[in-house]
Amino acid sequence: MGGANGKPCMTDVFNPTEKTLDALGVSDPVGVEKLFHDVREQFDRQTDAKSPTEPNYVGLKNAWLGRRAGIVNAIAENWLKPSPTNLKPLVGHALNGLRQHIELRLETMRRNTAASEEESALARERVDLSLPGVMRPVGSRHPIRQTFDDIEQIFLSMGYQVVAGPEIETPYYNFEALNIPEHHPARDNMDTFYMETPKGAETRLLRTHTSPMQIRTMEKQKPPVRIIVPGKVYRRDNPDATHSFAFHQIEGLAVDVDLTFCDFAGTIDYFIRQFFGPGTKSRFRPSYFPFTEPSVEFDASCIFCGGSGVTGAGATCSKCKGSGWIELFGAGMVNPAVYKLVKYDAAKLNGFAFGLGVDRLTMLKYGIDDIQVFFQNDVRFLRQFA
Amino acid sequence: MKILYDWLKEFVDAKAPAPEVRSRLSLSGTAVDALEETAAGPMFDAELTINRPDCMGHYGVAREVATIYRLPLKRVEPKLKESEEAASAAARVEIACPEFCGRYTARVIRGVRVAPSPEWLRKRLEALGHGSINNVVDATNYAMLELGHPMHAFDYDKLSEHRIVVRRAKAGEKMRTLDGIERTLVADMCMIADASHAVAIGGVMGGQDSEIGFASKNILLEAAWFDPISVRRTSKTLGLRTDASTRFERGADPEMADLASRRCVELIQQVAGGELLAGVVDVYPRKLQPGVLLLARRELLRVMGGDVPDTEIEAILKSLGFAPKRTDKGGANSPDAVWECCQPSWRADVAREIDLVEEVVRHYGLDKFAPRLPTARTTATRLPNAAAEDRLRERLAGLGYQEILTIPLVDPAVDAMFRAEGDAPVHIANPLAEDASVMRSNGIGNMLAALEWNLNRGQRSLRLFEIARAYRWNGNAPEERAVLTLGASGYAREKGVAETPREFSFEDLKGDLDRLGELAGGLLWSSRGPAWLHAARRGEITFRVGAANGTAGIAGQLARGVAEKLKLRQDIFLAEFLLEPFYAACSIAKTARRYTPISKFPAVERDFSLVLGEGTTFADVAAEIRSLRIPEIIEIEAVDLFRGGQVPAGKFSLLVRVVFQSPTATLAEIQLSDFSNRIAAALIEKLGAALRTA
Repeated sequence: MGGANGKPCMTDVFNPTEKTLDALGVSDPVGVEKLFHDVREQFDRQTDAKSPTEPNYVGLKNAWLGRRAGIVNAIAENWLKPSPTNLKPLVGHALNGLRQHIELRLETMRRNTAASEEESALARERVDLSLPGVMRPVGSRHPIRQTFDDIEQIFLSMGYQVVAGPEIETPYYNFEALNIPEHHPARDNMDTFYMETPKGAETRLLRTHTSPMQIRTMEKQKPPVRIIVPGKVYRRDNPDATHSFAFHQIEGLAVDVDLTFCDFAGTIDYFIRQFFGPGTKSRFRPSYFPFTEPSVEFDASCIFCGGSGVTGAGATCSKCKGSGWIELFGAGMVNPAVYKLVKYDAAKLNGFAFGLGVDRLTMLKYGIDDIQVFFQNDVRFLRQFA
Repeated sequence: MKILYDWLKEFVDAKAPAPEVRSRLSLSGTAVDALEETAAGPMFDAELTINRPDCMGHYGVAREVATIYRLPLKRVEPKLKESEEAASAAARVEIACPEFCGRYTARVIRGVRVAPSPEWLRKRLEALGHGSINNVVDATNYAMLELGHPMHAFDYDKLSEHRIVVRRAKAGEKMRTLDGIERTLVADMCMIADASHAVAIGGVMGGQDSEIGFASKNILLEAAWFDPISVRRTSKTLGLRTDASTRFERGADPEMADLASRRCVELIQQVAGGELLAGVVDVYPRKLQPGVLLLARRELLRVMGGDVPDTEIEAILKSLGFAPKRTDKGGANSPDAVWECCQPSWRADVAREIDLVEEVVRHYGLDKFAPRLPTARTTATRLPNAAAEDRLRERLAGLGYQEILTIPLVDPAVDAMFRAEGDAPVHIANPLAEDASVMRSNGIGNMLAALEWNLNRGQRSLRLFEIARAYRWNGNAPEERAVLTLGASGYAREKGVAETPREFSFEDLKGDLDRLGELAGGLLWSSRGPAWLHAARRGEITFRVGAANGTAGIAGQLARGVAEKLKLRQDIFLAEFLLEPFYAACSIAKTARRYTPISKFPAVERDFSLVLGEGTTFADVAAEIRSLRIPEIIEIEAVDLFRGGQVPAGKFSLLVRVVFQSPTATLAEIQLSDFSNRIAAALIEKLGAALRTA
């Protein structure tokens, strides 16, 4: 039963522990044992496991084991200390037994209380793991940028140097120096934007490929040359799903005394397996570009139909038109005519060049079928590349 | 170029199924894009490279197939029935401009019956996309598709004096072409004329007046060779591309003119009858001696890195018409082997040793040269600012900005709205559209377009960035400068189960920019900015370190008037700065970075609640406090700001926190109160601040 101040106590009317044994009229072992028995019973009632009259652990601990006002302390002060010599060992023994009993029971009680409190706290605090966390917005690199970075990384691993050049070029670097004289039909495939130039200024155009940097580099640098040139290029094509009048290229050039077509094939082969995965098959098809000879188109096995030319539904694959191959980019051994203009010795040097279409490679890699999405910058598109 | 397999088979005994031929053609340089079934049998759609005019007829492609399968190519030997009368008595040809016309042959056929074409002829032409006109015109087209050489049939009776004069066009000369359009000609065009007027544009299109019709009886058949550049220029100037012009501009075979003419006559006689006058009128001012070329195995090895056996080299070159002959004394497959080859008239593109190498290897098989990785001989080197650009991109992504990529050809009206004063814009002389006719002078227009695209599609909270170039004229030279452009709008923080929403504000933009500035040693802000930014929420940026040559960038909220004009209904925040000075500052800041020891003694904060007059800035307060030169001050922060309530109009309340710390001792209360008193006194005296006790 709780006291008026909420603290547990022996009884409201009578508390034997406030008196000495003498005052209680106890002088024999039987009396002592009875006293201790009563006190213990009182404690047990208060702390009964099923219906404790006093569930407050802290209060109980203070009432029974409190250093100054605790009952156990009172017994020691009032019963043990003044007890007659013949009863002292018995009282001391009984007191120890009582103390141990109380300590043990209270400790058990403490543990149980803590466990149940923790349980209710957990129920209250438990998170719903199906709810989203606080998603701090993160940005991402544009997929075209990621392809640029991936390609750069592959060529850096082969000891290439990255260089950049102007987008607004002169006809010399864009055409003539690359063996594409005026009236060359190759210019038809590279319909060109020209600039309105200030009076007295040289003719300028928007480069149609990143190849002018081949020339600018060889003009400045002696072999060995190993460069890649990432950048924007422009062609005067009406925009549709596969054409944009601005797009992205990485030009590559390697010139040295001992480079051959086999080195070229090995370099491209390594690149393509790094970029698309080790299972990708590739092939060269002879082609024509004014600045390379022999020239090739480079094809990879069609990633949409697995190179079979037929879709899962049995129809002709629309991406490779049933051939099983996808044209990736043009390349070739550098045409000796190009060396002449940069004063390289065509009889001693050899090299290769390639022009990777970054947009096309990105489209193939992620299965994108419209080049325009790159330039719309819809965040729902961009976030897919975070 | 569309090629019928059955037609090829007339010249080569190919037995392979069409899909295999398609693939073999592609792998040897004649790219076949598609294989279709037509009324005239399987058809290859080949995308020819521009160096191969010889393949613009079936015979040339048949030569490729013959080489692929090492089969003989049949000769074309037309059988003609000639009359007694000589052609030279019936027509005269004169070339006044040999620079444009290297050869002109004329044959005369009398008494043809012009009629619709027979079924077999129509079927092939139609399968290849040519409408049937009449048997004579169809025969010339058929011969062209077979041998690749364009020809033209004139109505002989409509040629004044039966004379052909090949000359330059006269100034202002006009002629009606076969398509019914009257063309105005200029002096560098090559005209075919009779004694009185022009009857055709050489190598491009015939004239209406001398066209073959059902009433025509007598024919003059032209088979000529026109200069590629002249034809190309004429075709471009007139905007007139024809079967003839696409063949001549790539370089037709002058030797083929006569054979094609005879084959054409054979066909005409077969389908329209008629009597061929004996011989030919052939004016050939530019007859070339066949060139001699050498191919050395050493060069092939040097370029290719792998060998090709003698038998293969010889079989391929022979089949392609190069008539190779070994000229060295070495044995079979000797490394010193040299072949002397003669250049066939139809292969003007093969003029050097390297060209012969290419001919051999494209038919030998490029896959036979084993790939190998060359040894690296140079060090991997990135662009000079690549590392700083990586850091910038990383940080932007960390701050939640998505990278965009745009096309820098923009609308001049929009570009002008955001163009810095004095920047000369770079205009495109031949734009595809007015709204893409100037190179952007800044990234703001493109950024707004990207924001608008997203806002119009229900994407409300946006943070975008672009790293790209801005263009302008610097005197007579174009200048391309890298810029970073930021655009943001909507929520800085979206509402969620654990978050309250908050709109993006100028302070967000400034904080993000200062975070970027940390990479470069910090930004300096000044309250100026272009008129298109909100007058009260804008600033100019310079970099604290590096070249101190003026403003590097701007930041702020898009002015409401401009936003309204662009129909943007929510607040837009924009920033742009030049990247060259940023990268320079990054580099300096990185080099200058040094460690600051961390004091072992506790830091103590003291708050000052100030009431200040409007116009006083936090920077003024901080400068005043710093001017006291108390070395123990390690930080001055603004913690709270408010207006209204108990703060009188014209004033605002600012809570400033000063942090003190000594590297050598724990600060005593007496020291701290001395600092506080001095700070309070200075702010009251110098800035007229009132101190509110917390």
